Amino acid sequence: MDVTGMPILADAGLMDFVAGLFSFKLVSCLALSAAIFSIGAMGVLARRNVLVMLISVEVMLNAVMLAFVSFARAMVNLGPPAGKTFAAEGGQIFALFIIAVAAAEAAVGLAIVIAYFRNRQTVDTRDIKAMRN
Amino acid sequence: MDWIDVVFILSGLLCLGSACTIVTRKNPVYSVIFMLPFFLGMTILFILLSAPFLAAMQMMVYGGAILVVFLFVIMLINLRPEEIKDDFSLWTYTPAAAVGGVLGGLILSFVRHGIPDGSELDKNFHAAVNNSRLMLDLGMGGVAPPLGSIDSIAIPMFKQYVVPFELVSILIVVAVLGAVILAKKRV
Repeated sequence: MDVTGMPILADAGLMDFVAGLFSFKLVSCLALSAAIFSIGAMGVLARRNVLVMLISVEVMLNAVMLAFVSFARAMVNLGPPAGKTFAAEGGQIFALFIIAVAAAEAAVGLAIVIAYFRNRQTVDTRDIKAMRN
Repeated sequence: MDWIDVVFILSGLLCLGSACTIVTRKNPVYSVIFMLPFFLGMTILFILLSAPFLAAMQMMVYGGAILVVFLFVIMLINLRPEEIKDDFSLWTYTPAAAVGGVLGGLILSFVRHGIPDGSELDKNFHAAVNNSRLMLDLGMGGVAPPLGSIDSIAIPMFKQYVVPFELVSILIVVAVLGAVILAKKRV
């Protein structure tokens, strides 16, 4: 039970929680988003190729977009908050902003990669150590 | 199990599998190629979550523009296969997999402990998806447009979210100018 007195998902037990992930619900969308985000984070941490690291950042941003859109979809059932204009589209609009930010980030990141490659002929972070020590 | 569950599971598996392929291929060309099924699965998920406009934007901007830019840069750099260093080593993959696993488990436990079971967030999530004409009251009188349509996104975007919208345009101008200055040849 959480502070609001409502039963929470953890009360159901781990196996029921996992079994509930295989249907189309808010929780399963968020779980999928978490899994994709951690795969992308693992790519950023483990890889040594700058291009693949940038692609992994795009994967992480896509996971965040999925979370935003599923929350926006779930907001429809909540109804408008007191005294506010209801707009469940906020999540989708922020996902659009994420697309724009991802495009800008890809442009700048790839420009940096090109500029570095022109000077040093490498895209491997093991070789990028001009500022080490 | 409904058809929508089947579509959700299949597209989720498509996303997960292609994400794993993206982060583990040695050659970055394969990573970029496998972005396409990843974005396809994401598009199907967005359509299921009643965001058709966002799905179209995802396919056009990500699959059409960002992916082509990545492919263009990889072709421009043009590393020969023997020049690509082998990326796989247990010293990097093991801690990264541990950190990724802990991060994913942490988010999952937040999801499990933070969202009330059968709360209003979850209620009718499934039933309302089947009903594709979701009506929203935007407080404007008349019939509100369904969630995710161009009307229902454009009206809040230019009313409530007009300041972030303009800031995004400034950000894109700055990013384009910065990219040109960074990548330009020194004269």
